[in-house]
Amino acid sequence: MFSSSGRRVDRVTILFLTLVAFGFITATFDVRSSGGGVADVMREGAQSIFTPFQEGVDWVTRPVVGVVDGVANLAALRTENDRLGDRVRELEAQVLATDALEEQVAQLEAINGLQVPDELATVTARINASGPSVFDNVRYIDKGSKDGIVAGQAVVDEDGLIGRVDLVSANSARIRLITDQLVAVSVRVLSTNETGIVTGRGGGPLRLEMFRAREAVSEGDRVVTDGSRFPPGILVGSIRAAAGAEVGFVLRAEVDPAVRLSRIDYVKVVVGWSPIDAGLQDEDTLITTTTTTVGGG
Amino acid sequence: MMSRSRVVISLLVIVAAIVLQTTVFAPGRIQPLGVAPALVTLAVIAISPHIESEYLLLVGFTAGILMDLIGGGTLGLWAMTLTVVAYAASRFKVRFPDGPGFVAVTVIGITVSSQLLYVLFGTLFGQGTITEPRVLANVMIPGVWNLVLAVPAFWIIGKMLGSHQRGWAT
Repeated sequence: MFSSSGRRVDRVTILFLTLVAFGFITATFDVRSSGGGVADVMREGAQSIFTPFQEGVDWVTRPVVGVVDGVANLAALRTENDRLGDRVRELEAQVLATDALEEQVAQLEAINGLQVPDELATVTARINASGPSVFDNVRYIDKGSKDGIVAGQAVVDEDGLIGRVDLVSANSARIRLITDQLVAVSVRVLSTNETGIVTGRGGGPLRLEMFRAREAVSEGDRVVTDGSRFPPGILVGSIRAAAGAEVGFVLRAEVDPAVRLSRIDYVKVVVGWSPIDAGLQDEDTLITTTTTTVGGG
Repeated sequence: MMSRSRVVISLLVIVAAIVLQTTVFAPGRIQPLGVAPALVTLAVIAISPHIESEYLLLVGFTAGILMDLIGGGTLGLWAMTLTVVAYAASRFKVRFPDGPGFVAVTVIGITVSSQLLYVLFGTLFGQGTITEPRVLANVMIPGVWNLVLAVPAFWIIGKMLGSHQRGWAT
């Protein structure tokens, strides 16, 4: 009895160690391959299998969950209502200021002969699932490659940048949020017009690093995408606390995301822009400039 | 019930737990204190008295791989974590007749340990999980929610997998 039991424990322990070792090797392989190849094929397959179940459960439970969540967060809803009221008044004031600015911009564009790009094409999608653990900063949407979505595209809502498309299957796509530590966004601080990199920290405020900053940033300064990876001018967030620039040192500051990532429901995927397009535009500009120079000479 | 049937039902329970975790308990849905329960960990603990230890390890590993595939992290981290959970659960094989105190301590202990273990694995494999601002809440609070959900989870899974005497697997 004892030896039989002892042998059984050994078998269980050996299997346990084997599985842990296999998991370790899998993780090492995935890190080495930077999440591509076979691992991505498996992820897309798993996503395709789970999506119908997630959509079904989401469809059935969304109204009930909404009521439960609403009752549980009654106090928070009142605060949110007040916050939104303030925000509406603030935006009304901004609209008045924006009208004047738009007129100025139109005049400048006319003077410089610039062409305003058409509004970027977007696909509206609904978030129907999240990652399976509290450490996952990903969301799943109900649109995929059939709708023109490809990996790398920016995802926004009315408040600003949410993240980027990370993985795509035919009918769904995974978004990696800007709070994820794997996401880095090239940004521009509007008040100083200087550029930097914003990276996620897994939650809470984002980290801003500016390597060649000459001017300090102040609390509330707005930070937007600079157009190198995502379309330019999308609001990323605002500076949480003032930070100074010292010669030879990196300016570091925290940025509060513009979007409320715990509350996003519908999003827009920017399908009408990609970094490659930006590169081609730059190339076109370069050719035009060169031609003009030659012609002018 | 045949072991094979129990394993199949266990895997279906795991799939259901993942679907519920990613929809009903997703951010913006039911997340009291801003953190969701760890349903899959709870499912593995609740399955433990009903199947043999070897099968439980395989169920735990499969559950982890599925979580890795659906989640945004490195493939294999949850697989390792839930294999450890399955191993620990196979030692305790916690059931309600063991007393509420034992169940509570085991569920909270294994859940918090698994969250902590994932943080360590994530940090080891370059995800920087340990530097996340809410890491303490993400480690501790799922244990509390799992304790709250333990009663319905143990009851439902017990009904699905049938009664099983402790020691059946050993």
